[in-house]
Amino acid sequence: MALDGIKKYFSRHVHRRIHTYTPDDAFMIDLPETHSYIRRRVETFKLEANIGVNTAKIELHTPDVRVKGLRVKIYTKQDVKIHAYKTRNKINVYSALKQLQAMPQERVNIIKLIKNKPSSSKNEIMLACYYPVVEGAVLKLALNKQRGTLLVWYNPGSRQLKARSVYLIRRLGLDAKTEWRWV
Amino acid sequence: MAQNNLTGYILIEGGESSVRGIVLITDPKGFPADCHYTEPVRPTKPERILYGSSFDSYAKEELILSSLLDSVEFDPQLWICNDEDILEPLRKSAKIKTVMLEESPHVPLEAAGAVESLPENGVYLIQTEEHGNPLRAEFPANTRQDEVQQTAKMLTENAKTMSILEPFDRMRKLLDLKGAE
Repeated sequence: MALDGIKKYFSRHVHRRIHTYTPDDAFMIDLPETHSYIRRRVETFKLEANIGVNTAKIELHTPDVRVKGLRVKIYTKQDVKIHAYKTRNKINVYSALKQLQAMPQERVNIIKLIKNKPSSSKNEIMLACYYPVVEGAVLKLALNKQRGTLLVWYNPGSRQLKARSVYLIRRLGLDAKTEWRWV
Repeated sequence: MAQNNLTGYILIEGGESSVRGIVLITDPKGFPADCHYTEPVRPTKPERILYGSSFDSYAKEELILSSLLDSVEFDPQLWICNDEDILEPLRKSAKIKTVMLEESPHVPLEAAGAVESLPENGVYLIQTEEHGNPLRAEFPANTRQDEVQQTAKMLTENAKTMSILEPFDRMRKLLDLKGAE
């Protein structure tokens, strides 16, 4: 034993090597199942001469060692408490069907993209075109003036599927007004 | 679960600190047939140590996606997602056609229904509507060409009665509303 101690002393102080031990079973921490996509990295650090490792107490005498940003605290084997860690595999899920059914769908103005606009009279200006809108299922239409979009509420019970374009048209002249026109 | 002409949307948002998700099943008009959302998932202390910067991937795939898929009552004919991280797991879990869609700045293709492959593997442009730019569609690895064509056909058909990407806006609004409550 004494010779072994001398060997270790010289190994450490002359060759700057330290002896390492494999931890016994009692110190093994039961890690949960890991996943192949997790990025892992193993880093090794060369210990300077002023760093001492006492394997009996498992102490790391340096305040500056960092492992993934976590400071390694000085601890002893007696401080290690092993707890079973269970990964969670399900989380709470809530229904939002009613809220979403009450929300309107939004259509953007595609008037600039329409190459073949429907014919209109000289006293009319086509301001906007919204597509697709299922006319037979519409419960309510509203223009979002801030965004220039059309808000569409559908009747939940409707089975209609025939979509059309809806144009916003402004009539000029004495009877000037804005109106919707289905095309 | 009944097989029908429904379309499924999955939106998962967040990063290392918190991730949340929502699933929406719509009819061909875009009207909701089913909708569920998750609470925000924040890493616990052990999870932060175990997963580090990979926590969002773990949360998206293992927690949120599987919980959302378990919650839906209808099987859609197509799943559309917004995140390439969940494209493969979604395909694996749902076992039906799956695609990630987003807007693209490309010039319109010749006609609605047209498909054009991009240099990236499994990425295509699909002209779903007559007007406007094509959509950028990313498919899971090993998706066959005939599946790409079938998906493009479904999307083009749906685009006749609904705006294809619009449900994502409603889903984001709902998550914002729930986050504010």
